[in-house]
Amino acid sequence: MSGPSAELVLAPLRSIRRATIIWGVALAVLVAATVSVWPAFKSGSGVSQAIDQLPQGVVQAFGLEGFGTPAGFLRGNLYAFFIPLLLVGVAIYFVSSLTAGEEDAGRLELVFAQPVPRRAVFAGRAVAALVGLAVLVPVTAVVQLGADAQVHLSINGGRLGATLALSALLALFHGGLAVAVAGLRPRTSVVLGVAFVVAIAGMVAALLLPLSAAVKPFAHLSPWDWAFAGDPLVNATAPWRYVVLALPAAAMALFGIWVFGRRDIRAA
Amino acid sequence: MVDAAAARTRVQVASTPTAAPLLRVQALVKDYGAVHAVRGIDLDLNPGEVLGFLGPNGSGKSTTIRCILDLLRPTSGRIEVFGMDPRRDGVAIRSRLSYVPGELRLPNRMSCAQVIDSIGRLRGGFDPARRDELAERLKLDLRRPTRQLSTGNRRKLSLLLAFLWPVDLLVLDEPTSGLDPLMQHEFVALLREARATGATVFLSSHVLSEVQRTADRVVVLRAGRVVAQGTVEELRGRARQRVEVWFEGDVPSHLKDVPGLVDAAVDGHRFTASLTGPIRPLLAFLGSQPVTGMLVEEPDLEEAFLDLYEERA
Repeated sequence: MSGPSAELVLAPLRSIRRATIIWGVALAVLVAATVSVWPAFKSGSGVSQAIDQLPQGVVQAFGLEGFGTPAGFLRGNLYAFFIPLLLVGVAIYFVSSLTAGEEDAGRLELVFAQPVPRRAVFAGRAVAALVGLAVLVPVTAVVQLGADAQVHLSINGGRLGATLALSALLALFHGGLAVAVAGLRPRTSVVLGVAFVVAIAGMVAALLLPLSAAVKPFAHLSPWDWAFAGDPLVNATAPWRYVVLALPAAAMALFGIWVFGRRDIRAA
Repeated sequence: MVDAAAARTRVQVASTPTAAPLLRVQALVKDYGAVHAVRGIDLDLNPGEVLGFLGPNGSGKSTTIRCILDLLRPTSGRIEVFGMDPRRDGVAIRSRLSYVPGELRLPNRMSCAQVIDSIGRLRGGFDPARRDELAERLKLDLRRPTRQLSTGNRRKLSLLLAFLWPVDLLVLDEPTSGLDPLMQHEFVALLREARATGATVFLSSHVLSEVQRTADRVVVLRAGRVVAQGTVEELRGRARQRVEVWFEGDVPSHLKDVPGLVDAAVDGHRFTASLTGPIRPLLAFLGSQPVTGMLVEEPDLEEAFLDLYEERA
């Protein structure tokens, strides 16, 4: 990558450096704190028995199946919702603040007045958001594996990697959506609103629709279902699950970059 | 970083009427929904020229500039910069120009030096000696964080960035807004230096004295349209001149009918009026009258400017 191209990614990366560190620490603390509970939980907690009393649909919907096993414990406490939701939030926040947020504040005018293609400026910011997100995934994996080893929580590393990869792709899906919206409309509130509504709606659909046989098939419309319906911490993940998240993410991001090149830049 | 001497060397471009315009705007229209920001602007900027771009707030100056820079896409019309289309050849065009935006918003967590470095990397480097010289002349502390900069200091930073590279075209949108008189003076000096090395300048300003001192030609906008253009002298020639004439006896009754005289008043042997247009008909009339004294005040650009608005309002 040449000097100007590198700067189009490095400059926005510098501006999210602090936020990336904060998010990384938050994820690490969440993972470590959750895992630290495992020894006490394993040796006598009645939670497992209590969960067994719940209706099967509720257990399934909230990812509580096999809660007494290492994989079930991690799924129910971290990977059914919290970690994916945090990564989705990070992706949307990074994209929104680096694109619509900066444009809305008029801070990109000076950059757009330089001899660089305007689509490259926008794409550089999307790439910076991707890099920020990519930093957080291995941080989470390393902290997870380290904490697991400390408390003898035995988890298949490959399945954990697949779960984190699906979480990251789910985040990318919503990040791609945020790029598309920011390409169309340089309004932070619109970008955040659309992306978070889609994220929450998808999560709720994947959670609740399977509880009713009549609407259960509609759960398959949710990206959360595409990512986690196969229970990736326990089962091998079918390759199509990566593809159906990655392709729309890339398509939406490319659409955002393309459409951005066709519209006016918002004035300060 | 580029070589300092090479950076400041530029071929002097002769400003001749026959040279192709460096910037050509034809029938430019820009609408924001129902709001018509620019309603058909035509203008040319010749190589080596300083063009003053005047108009009240909301007249379409910044919109026109942002269309030239390809920040905005015109609703209709045509723009050529260096003979190229800003939409298709934006990178090539922007590599040969510097821009001072009307309002400079900066990243919060950077120092002035870091902003310059970042923009420098986008432009393929800069001459550090020139940066230091400009910082010294503009009295700008490069270590200061951008979030602590006053409006004036932000303006100084944008001027430093504009004059840091030896470009062919400077596009300046209200460049001295927020600057103290000393810095305004320094800006005029920098502008003259840039011009002496062949730069062409597109100067949008509210400070008429600044335009008067620097511009070869002026384009005046109002409500998205060009209401006047010409040299500063031509514009001044259109201004009202205050005329006072003293007569030996009574003021001739037909004097007020002389073309161009308005607001005529008689006070004893003294006649006062404002004159618009050429003075020749008045002098021809007075030549046959018993005149004892006459005073014609020199109009300034501000009067011309205000008159233009009054005429069209």
